[in-house]
Amino acid sequence: MAQSSPSLTAKTAGVPPAPPRRKRAGSRAERLAPLVLVAPAVLVIVVMRLWPLLLGINFSFTGDGDRDGTAVGFDNYLTLFDDPLFRTALRNVGLLVLLLPVAVAIPGLLATFIYLKVPGHRVYRGVYFFPAVLSPVIVGAIFTLLLAYDGPLNTLLGGVGIGPVDWLGDPDVAIFAVVGVHVWATFGMALVVFLAGFATLDPSLLDAAEVDGASLSQTIRHVIVPGLSRTIQFVLVTTMIGMLTSMFGLLYVMTSGGPEGSTYLPEYYIWTQQGQMNRPALASAASTALFLIMLVVGLAQIGVLRRATGKEDR
Amino acid sequence: MKQRALWSAVLVAGLMATAGCGSASGPGSSTGGTSGKLVVWDWKSGDAKAAGYLEKAKADFAENHPGVAVEFVAQPFDQYYTLLGTAIQSGKGPDVILFNGGGQIRDRSDALAPLDTYVTEDRQRLAGWDAFTKAGKVYASPVTLQGHPLYYNKDLYQKAGLNPDAPAGTWSDFVKNCGTITEKTGAKCFALGNKEGYGIQFFLSAMGSTTLTAQEYDDWIAGKRNWTSANVKRLFELWKEANDSGLNNDGVNSTAMFNDEFALFQSGKAANVIGLMSDVGHWKDFAEFIAPDKIGVMAAPVVTPSATPSLPYDGGIGYAVAKWTKDPKLAADLVRSLTSTDALKAFYVDGGAITSDTSIDVSAGGPAVKTIVSAVKAGKPALHVALSSKTLDLMGRLSQQLLSGSTTVDEAVRQLAASDTTG
Repeated sequence: MAQSSPSLTAKTAGVPPAPPRRKRAGSRAERLAPLVLVAPAVLVIVVMRLWPLLLGINFSFTGDGDRDGTAVGFDNYLTLFDDPLFRTALRNVGLLVLLLPVAVAIPGLLATFIYLKVPGHRVYRGVYFFPAVLSPVIVGAIFTLLLAYDGPLNTLLGGVGIGPVDWLGDPDVAIFAVVGVHVWATFGMALVVFLAGFATLDPSLLDAAEVDGASLSQTIRHVIVPGLSRTIQFVLVTTMIGMLTSMFGLLYVMTSGGPEGSTYLPEYYIWTQQGQMNRPALASAASTALFLIMLVVGLAQIGVLRRATGKEDR
Repeated sequence: MKQRALWSAVLVAGLMATAGCGSASGPGSSTGGTSGKLVVWDWKSGDAKAAGYLEKAKADFAENHPGVAVEFVAQPFDQYYTLLGTAIQSGKGPDVILFNGGGQIRDRSDALAPLDTYVTEDRQRLAGWDAFTKAGKVYASPVTLQGHPLYYNKDLYQKAGLNPDAPAGTWSDFVKNCGTITEKTGAKCFALGNKEGYGIQFFLSAMGSTTLTAQEYDDWIAGKRNWTSANVKRLFELWKEANDSGLNNDGVNSTAMFNDEFALFQSGKAANVIGLMSDVGHWKDFAEFIAPDKIGVMAAPVVTPSATPSLPYDGGIGYAVAKWTKDPKLAADLVRSLTSTDALKAFYVDGGAITSDTSIDVSAGGPAVKTIVSAVKAGKPALHVALSSKTLDLMGRLSQQLLSGSTTVDEAVRQLAASDTTG
């Protein structure tokens, strides 16, 4: 672009009409080229992301059944927050947030043991990661069998004199059983991230701690945890996303949202209303509510991540 | 550089123009409307068990209309009504459509042609029309019947020293017999899976005719449901009592009906099960594990003395004619071929379905199927089929709460009444 300007000023005196026109046409093509090149990306985002999102929000203000297509204001949202089932789903989201530290501590602790080279650590590294490659449907089916009322786990418990627990049939137990299985199935990925974090840990610090006579718990608390703070924050964020967005398969296979609706999550609620109850507008309202929740959680996570990685940038 | 930008633009424009082509609802060849060809949508024609049935139906139709081609398009069942909704919205699609009876067809009757004038000859021969009728007009001809007989394992009754051919007539005798069976054989009384909340639906319909009075039953079906009636309350009390007194297998709320419940019955771990008539969980499935002559079907034991037992059943699946088809008479003829005695007989023999044609000879199928077919004439629509899917969903959760003791029968009935009246 820079070399075209001197030739332009030189030729303006002679006034031959053709060259400037060609120049103008050329610069227009060059001006348009970047727009054309970003167009696919923009179109994909607008058509595949923003437009459906806006449609969904729009649908959430229309009615179902007889009131199909008519504007109903906030009726769907009132129905939603009046529905004990949706409130249970939201309560379960809160429960997941509370269980998050446990879900992060398990892979963190196990990764520490592998890093400290406990006997057989090579085997454990492979074994721990294995469930992460299984589909939730398969994991769900396996644990439905294991946790059945007359299944092997209860037989085992019976052997040591503990009465059978209806793992998936007791409303107070079922959600913990499902979350437990989800943690079992996904902690391998977090473990790998932790091991990668350990690789960046300065071994001389550990040696120094050893020389100073620090116990294992002191080493973990004062050397490993501070050194891994960024890794821990990253695992915290990704585990939360995983819990909120990928438990549908397990719920579908293991409990169908039951017993008594105690294991509903917003995702499952949306699917039921849309697919089973034929109430797409209510499902849209629930989706919008879930979107807002995810937005808040996501913004909080971005804040955490920025604080974590910010130090590194500077 | 300019050239390259231009080419990229052309390439991108080309890509954009081709994106979004095609149709999510399948290729255009599967839509009908052209004369000389009829298109049928269903979810059965891919099933080997239905092959003989369709063969017979096609032959019957070809005999009367030699020049007309018939194409069967099997859709996946889990997306069937979604795909159909798209076809209905665009006003074109298959000429003949398979439907489930009840809400599924009634909700879509606007898109269908009434068949009354075409099927008058079939009205007597076939049963189950009610499930395909809306506002006095018939929209489909029934193919199968679906209902909830009470099956029992004659072997277990015999082992317990009871007469397998004289099952209990009253609820108290039934419970007494169950006690004997559990004592002598260790088998439970009922195989029950209520993980999805379906168990209560089957129980409600199976025990309805002997708990409600005839008047209450007919009112329920007609939509005038009296939830404060003592007998309606009794049905839910019965559900709870049966579990509390140990008649059911353990862990009912975590046992799936399909197929853990039926597996318990088939393996002789429970003496009775409320099953189905067609498709799955029925006499033919059970006969793979229990000898056919050892599977019995008994009338529901009487709870309220003035009530008489009747088989709860409805039309299962049936074929309808789309409003947009060019020649409704021709499409209706295909429906008639699809419900001809020969075709339905093949469906019964291959798939074990109880078909809408009760004149088919089923004597070779064993005592269970014979009892079911003989009970069809006096049967009535099932209670739970009359409820909306929203109320059924709520009933599923309440039934689990009743079993775990976290709600009372009064509270459950109150919530169901509220859900039922708001639609």
